[in-house]
Amino acid sequence: MTTARSATTVPEAGAVVPAGLKGLLPVLLALPVLGLLEWLLRASPFATYLLSVMGVNIILAVSLNIVNGMTGQFSIGHAGFMAVGAYLAGFVSLMLKGVAISFLPEALSDQVFFLLALLVGGLSAALCGFLVGLPSLRLRGDYLAIVTLGFGEIIRVVVQNTDAFGRALGLSGIPQTSGVGMVYFGVFLVVLVARRIAGSSHGRSLWAIREDEVAAEAMGVDTTGYKVRSFVISSFFAGIAGGLFAHFVPIINPGSFTFVKSMEIVVMVVLGGLGSTTGAILAAIFLTLLPEGLRSLFTSLGAEGSLAQKVDQIRMPVYGLLLVALMLSRPQGLFGTKEIWDVLPKWWARRKKGTS
Amino acid sequence: MSAPVQVTPEAPMLEAAGVSIQFGGLKALTDFNLTIRQGDLQGLIGPNGAGKSTAFNALTGVYRPTRGDVRVAGQRVNGWMPHRINHLGLARTFQNIRLFRALSVLDNVKVACRAETLSHQEHWLPASLFIAALRGVGGVGGEKGARGGQRLGEQLIEQAGALVLQGWWRSLFLTPGFQAEEQRITERADALLEVMGLSHRRNEEARNLPYGEQRRLEIARALGTQPKVLLLDEPAAGMNTREKADLMVLIRKLRDQFSLGVLVIEHDMKLVMGICERITVLDHGEMIARGAPDEVRNDRKVIEAYLGDSYLESHGGAA
Amino acid sequence: MAQLLQHLINGLAAGTIYALVALGYTMVYGVLKLINFAHGDVMMVGVYMGYATAIGLGRQAQSSLWGVALIFAAAMLGCALLGFFIERFAYRPLREKPRLTALITAIGISFALSYGFQLDLGFKLPLPGGYELSLALPGASPRAFPEIIRPTEWLIIGDRDVVIWNWQVISFLIALGLMLVLQYLVYRTRFGRAMRAVSWDHRVAALMGIPTDRVIALTFMLSSALAAGAGLLYAIKDTSVSPLMGLYVGLKAFVAAVIGGIGNVPGAVVGGLVLGLVEEFVVGYAASTWRDAVAFGFLILVLLVKPGGLFGRVAAEKV
Repeated sequence: MTTARSATTVPEAGAVVPAGLKGLLPVLLALPVLGLLEWLLRASPFATYLLSVMGVNIILAVSLNIVNGMTGQFSIGHAGFMAVGAYLAGFVSLMLKGVAISFLPEALSDQVFFLLALLVGGLSAALCGFLVGLPSLRLRGDYLAIVTLGFGEIIRVVVQNTDAFGRALGLSGIPQTSGVGMVYFGVFLVVLVARRIAGSSHGRSLWAIREDEVAAEAMGVDTTGYKVRSFVISSFFAGIAGGLFAHFVPIINPGSFTFVKSMEIVVMVVLGGLGSTTGAILAAIFLTLLPEGLRSLFTSLGAEGSLAQKVDQIRMPVYGLLLVALMLSRPQGLFGTKEIWDVLPKWWARRKKGTS
Repeated sequence: MSAPVQVTPEAPMLEAAGVSIQFGGLKALTDFNLTIRQGDLQGLIGPNGAGKSTAFNALTGVYRPTRGDVRVAGQRVNGWMPHRINHLGLARTFQNIRLFRALSVLDNVKVACRAETLSHQEHWLPASLFIAALRGVGGVGGEKGARGGQRLGEQLIEQAGALVLQGWWRSLFLTPGFQAEEQRITERADALLEVMGLSHRRNEEARNLPYGEQRRLEIARALGTQPKVLLLDEPAAGMNTREKADLMVLIRKLRDQFSLGVLVIEHDMKLVMGICERITVLDHGEMIARGAPDEVRNDRKVIEAYLGDSYLESHGGAA
Repeated sequence: MAQLLQHLINGLAAGTIYALVALGYTMVYGVLKLINFAHGDVMMVGVYMGYATAIGLGRQAQSSLWGVALIFAAAMLGCALLGFFIERFAYRPLREKPRLTALITAIGISFALSYGFQLDLGFKLPLPGGYELSLALPGASPRAFPEIIRPTEWLIIGDRDVVIWNWQVISFLIALGLMLVLQYLVYRTRFGRAMRAVSWDHRVAALMGIPTDRVIALTFMLSSALAAGAGLLYAIKDTSVSPLMGLYVGLKAFVAAVIGGIGNVPGAVVGGLVLGLVEEFVVGYAASTWRDAVAFGFLILVLLVKPGGLFGRVAAEKV
């Protein structure tokens, strides 16, 4: 007999905080922490880069989980939305290069423009999400998989045919204004949004759609509307992730946003457990560090350089096999639809009982 | 959005007029008529495959009537999506239980309780003004059927309006109003669980409940949408005699407590005859009888449908 | 006019190949209600099997009639075997699980195959008698597919206004032949009847004494063999083979299946032809760089206008 998660378990500030402040408190707490983090990491570019990549992956996984996990639809074209965000944000930043707001210090003015670019990227991705989602989300789930995959291809073709996006060469020279602080502010926002949706009637409607669409519709849930909206929110954050990505890598080209990238995100979500935000975060961290770890391991072992290079190659078929193995052995992933704080205490209790 | 129609207790809450459903060449339902008012407790019976569930699906918007009209609270709802029909006050249960299996018992009911919240927002003045303004900009006028016919622009406007205004932002910012509302929803759901005798299961996953309790949870969930008419599809299936007896009492109690009109599909004759004031009998998609339990029980056509002609021949006619 | 005719011919030649692959999607969808994502990649593996056979046969033998037959036979048999194993070990254990589970598995297999084949791994196995068996994955870069059908111009109209190549005609005929065989199998044999019964409802079919497992396995083998044949035709047309071809051809064929109405056998053929023609016309009259986007743009369009495909119906879910 298991006790189900109650929707009200969003662990946040207790009763001491006035109701009016409850909504903004996490943001107020997060900002100085992120500032500190950025300051601490100012001298180590490798750590900054790795943490940024990890942060972008977390945003992608958590946002995809809103559609694939919470709503039970299966999108496999998340990289397409990421590409839209990356290209449009990058484009905006390139246009605004050299422009500064006179009454602000230069660094701050840069960040204002960066935010603007991110917003443009996120909103365009959200619009694409709407346009793609509307026809396909009215149909049965598996169509969505194909349509999203196709959407990724369309994006690639469009980019390769557009001069403004540098065709196959990509965009370079985008100002490198991103930092760990900004990336993790994005992470923080997407997690906050996902958890707060989960704790609201909207989240319950999404779960209801995942569990039984016909019943949800009969209980007054506008299933199409909710599916489209969850898709739009998810695409928005994919766009933000893309925008962030574009501002810390030297160059973005269509090769960064292929089907492989989409699959990587899908694997993260499935591994973490469809429907579990914390699962998605952990899986994203694990799957970002694993190839890096293997690469440095091989390099430090003095293996011939080719082996370290092969890590990247081997990664992809391994993802595929991992998916198959997961489905056959543990289809619910790491945490299933639950969060870490629902799962760990029980696991801990069982472990204790086992040892005593 | 549909303006709530003022209804007097005598006005029909649910009305089917000449409803027919055809799948390809198969006539699943022919010329079905039904009227349910507040306080009614009616039954719908018939042999297997008689079209009872098809009738339910036609009334609740799962199927679109090939001919005829369905009216809920005075509104013609042909071709509406089920959720919009539900918002007008029509709720149902399912023959093959369709709970949100992995959600807790409480959350199952809370999903349904959401409708109240939504209707508040729909009548929130700035929201409707904003949507109206967007409609004006988009040059889209008039209400169209929600299924299919809507144009892309209109969809975009509705979705944008819904995303911004239907309280998503309130849940993101945890506004005091939102917190109070969540509180209210939980209280209302708890109250419904209490009524249905499920409070002790509150935090369990719905799929772990025994069969009888799952049936009751389906009713609790349907009540969460604050219906005016409740359609129960074989609520006693799989229950033992004792549970059935309890259910009969419960259905009557619900009707009175929530001022409902109730329509029950049931195979158990004792239950239907025991509680329904009026019974409609379907066979091969056609209505063959209607009336008080005693009239229906002695109707020749009904006996024929259930027991076959041979029974009548060998027993020399009805009763 | 001549140009139009030429495009028509090219489009038909490509379309029949899409149609063959689309048939595989549709048949598997018919019996399992599963979009076999890995179908295209199974096709790709088949093409490599054919490639290996062709290389093994050498330049002379590979383009003789029996050589070509051997290449096709090897690819189709090998693929049937692969299809059998995938069904047996990956899909069958998940048959009663939620559909999403099987879909994710299919995606996983597709990914493992298409990227697994890009690794450059290999090993050599010494055999007695001084021979050695060397097995190697083909690596990421595309390879030239041997000209097992020496391209010759069979029909030239005007001053090379319209050119029909021999391989176009041969490929058209082979594809047509395979479709006729399939048509015979599905509608004229016991196996076909069993397959259609399973597609209607596999549980009921099992109760009627149909060996569902065997029928499903055979359906997989059949669709995989068809895919291998189609893949070879595609490789002949494209004169190249690469690990990613499965993904692209497979996706387009899937689009063709959806356009025709997935689960509908004649629909898949028509869908394939329509897609082949549309693509050809876009390449011919608009821009060739947009070719890859056409299929999906077309798909979204079809889903918007006629969600069930040209011949399919959106099945109403049984409630």
